[in-house]
Amino acid sequence: MAALNKQTMLNLAETAVATALKQGAAEAEAFAYEGKATMVGIERGQINKTNRIIDRGLAVRVQLNKAIGFAYTNIIDNQATIENTITKALAAAKASKPDPNWKSLPEKKPYPPMPEKGFDKKILELRAEDLVNLSTRMLDAATEADKRVLPIEGGASAGYGSNALANNNGVSGFDEGTIVECSLATLAKEGNTVTPVCFEFSADRTLNLNPEWVGKEAARLAVSALKTTRIETKNYKLIFTQFALQELLYYTLINAVKADSVERDQSPFKDRLNTKVGSEAVTMIDDGLLPGGLRTGIFDGEGVPHQTTPVIEKGILKNFLYDYYTAKKQGKESTGNASRASYLSTPSIEATNFRVMPGTKSPEELLSEVDDGLLVSYLQGAHSSNPVSGEFSVVATPAWKIRKGKIEQASRGVMLAGNIFELLKNVTATGNNERKMGQLVAPWLLVESVKVIGK
Amino acid sequence: MKDLLIKLTNLAKEKFQAEYAEARAQNLFKTMFTMKEGRVEAARQGIENGVALRVLVNGAWGFASVGSLDATVLSEAIGDACGMAKAASLRMKAPIKLAKAPVVEDHVKVMPKKNPAEVSIEDKIETAAQTTKVAMSLDKRVKSCTVDYMDLTGVSYLATSEGTYIEMDKLYVWSKITASALQNGVYTFSREELGSTLGYELFDTETPEAVGERLAKRATIQLKAKPPKGGTFPVVLGPNVVGVFVHEAFGHLAEADLALAGGVLANNLGKKIGSDLVTFYDDGTLDGAFGSFKYDDEGVAAKKTLLIKDGVVTGLLHSRETAQKFNAEPTGNARAEDFRVEPIIRMRNTYMAPRDRSFDELLEGVKEGYFFKSFRGGQANLDGTFQVGIQEAYEIVNGELGEPVRDASISGNTLDTLLKVDAVGKDFEMDSGRCGKGQIAFIGDGGPHIRVSEVTVGGSA
Repeated sequence: MAALNKQTMLNLAETAVATALKQGAAEAEAFAYEGKATMVGIERGQINKTNRIIDRGLAVRVQLNKAIGFAYTNIIDNQATIENTITKALAAAKASKPDPNWKSLPEKKPYPPMPEKGFDKKILELRAEDLVNLSTRMLDAATEADKRVLPIEGGASAGYGSNALANNNGVSGFDEGTIVECSLATLAKEGNTVTPVCFEFSADRTLNLNPEWVGKEAARLAVSALKTTRIETKNYKLIFTQFALQELLYYTLINAVKADSVERDQSPFKDRLNTKVGSEAVTMIDDGLLPGGLRTGIFDGEGVPHQTTPVIEKGILKNFLYDYYTAKKQGKESTGNASRASYLSTPSIEATNFRVMPGTKSPEELLSEVDDGLLVSYLQGAHSSNPVSGEFSVVATPAWKIRKGKIEQASRGVMLAGNIFELLKNVTATGNNERKMGQLVAPWLLVESVKVIGK
Repeated sequence: MKDLLIKLTNLAKEKFQAEYAEARAQNLFKTMFTMKEGRVEAARQGIENGVALRVLVNGAWGFASVGSLDATVLSEAIGDACGMAKAASLRMKAPIKLAKAPVVEDHVKVMPKKNPAEVSIEDKIETAAQTTKVAMSLDKRVKSCTVDYMDLTGVSYLATSEGTYIEMDKLYVWSKITASALQNGVYTFSREELGSTLGYELFDTETPEAVGERLAKRATIQLKAKPPKGGTFPVVLGPNVVGVFVHEAFGHLAEADLALAGGVLANNLGKKIGSDLVTFYDDGTLDGAFGSFKYDDEGVAAKKTLLIKDGVVTGLLHSRETAQKFNAEPTGNARAEDFRVEPIIRMRNTYMAPRDRSFDELLEGVKEGYFFKSFRGGQANLDGTFQVGIQEAYEIVNGELGEPVRDASISGNTLDTLLKVDAVGKDFEMDSGRCGKGQIAFIGDGGPHIRVSEVTVGGSA
């Protein structure tokens, strides 16, 4: 099936809004989504599967007597189904309760031009054969690097997504983008020793992958985890790589900067705007317009333009992230942070590209500042952190011992325990090695004094 | 539907030389809402209809997912899947083969006492509002309460090129309720998850009063909790923690795809890796449990699978593909979240069998340790390293329960830890949850209270 064009997608959304108003909605918003992806999968060292997914859907949100209803369908080529979906949204609103704080759906605002590097026709043209070829290059690079390496799973994928959003205030937007990625999970085996799983990947919005690098790195990491050393229980200097930061920040800090968490007494950042919450080295922004960002787009899940929002500037808390509802309730403006899980969910507050600003030091320079510490990459259990207090108790495995500025043997199963808000105060430097990883864009982070339970 | 799906599998075999083909369709309807402090964010209803087509050509899988029931679109998609499988097969060293499975024709019906599709949204919202009210009025320090609710009803259809055809009613009722409390700058968080495959009658036993009170108490007890010490300690685990421990620390390693991927269990089949007190099952046949179903998404009947008996590894969890590799019987563990994804090996209801000790007997003999009562999350690694985060915990001092401790987690290696299970209780409880492995699966887990002589506790004190 060919992709639906801009006009078809916009018509779908705009017609649904008009129909909902005709059926009696006081306000209506429609979101049309199309996603297409081709994937090639690797299992146990060989390419063994290919998937193609075409997923389309339409979601309708309506307001009736200040109560909100929502319905979706994935059958969009049938007018009766769409009308039935609108009926269901209205029925849901009727069954729901009025919300006195509801103001309206967002008003129309001009959209910024699409940032560069978000769409690449070459990604659309990738066939299963091309992805098989790409995966083969990655796999060969891993197995040729070292005999002890077992590539356990991974693959390559090419995806296209588009969405159209319309509401009764004249909001009408279309956005489309591409993404391509390849990844490999590995472990190394020697005698009876099996390492924990290591992982590397490459992802971009334009066709700019380095599968050989992914294969080699995934192999190097696993092999470097074979030789282990014991770690004593005490406080250490740690360097967090982007893998660890992504997990840790998503389950703790990012919750604390969402305006609804703050309002609901679920954030220690309440009443802390314009006060010091981190060290000088900590600057974080939410940037929905970052060129080439994996979450970049021109508008958010309710049609508000994306923007760049300073969150923490040199340790000072500057802003929270808002959707339209929470912003209006507090007399503020939305920061364009309403997010949707395709057509299946209502918008809720989420960071776009959450950027930890890089510093000037190279990874080697960061390492040289550590006499006795750990390099922490892979975390287990970050999702079991306390999302409100920011307390975490996680396993770092493998983690690598740093001695006198050099990365040495790995450790297995050491635990880190602490609090993200304390950790922010102990950041002494950020690297210059910024990297995109899902929602996070960040360099390495050097942190003083984190409790490590040794093994 | 039957004719269409059978026609598609025939087309794959006859026109595109597939060795095997399956067509799996769904007609599902979901009702959901999120309530915050009694305010409904948006009541939601959704229709998800679509077809998953999976073929084996030259020993490689091809898969296509299409959100359409149109015969022309689907015929094109199955040809596409076969073509892609051929492309993937070019470098196959070990072509995939499937273990034999009985050909089945069946129509599985559910008979709920209270069909969620027939309960009004108003009633569902009222139950959630009631739970919120109980949780927030019991103690003023409870500041927020979020209820997520979902029910799913409908039918799934499966046809294979071997002649299997199954129509199966689907029914799930699920809710996650969280509360947070605040006092003097201390923030706490508490969660409950409920699920059933029986029907809306779930809420007759898990009443708003019971659930609301559990949530509020846990959140407020934690307000005066202290951080645990980090280090190695003896611990007593409650059924809720034992369940997630069995699931994370052992269950994932028993998934045959992960065992084949280098997991530590592949070389331990038939070997003793745990104490005599350790017996685990993964059971798809428990009536009404959240992880139960009659057939998996390859059409294999769900079984009760013995994984480890008196410390000896007795079995793994299989799809037809891995069963062939291990020369074993498929166990009915191949599950797909929906039509967008292919079936992979997932757990069902995973639990530890009870023995003979009372709770007090478990505490006896622990001089300095912890009682971990309720979990917040867990994760496993192929080398056997597990982590379970704890949301409710107490000290044990000289055989007696002491002060509450907050935000701990436990970790260890499965192969060491199972040997250190030194006493197992006579009680038994099951919980409902969701497990992520690229896809979400509804699962159950549980067990009795147990004592473990040594695990690492991740504490900041």
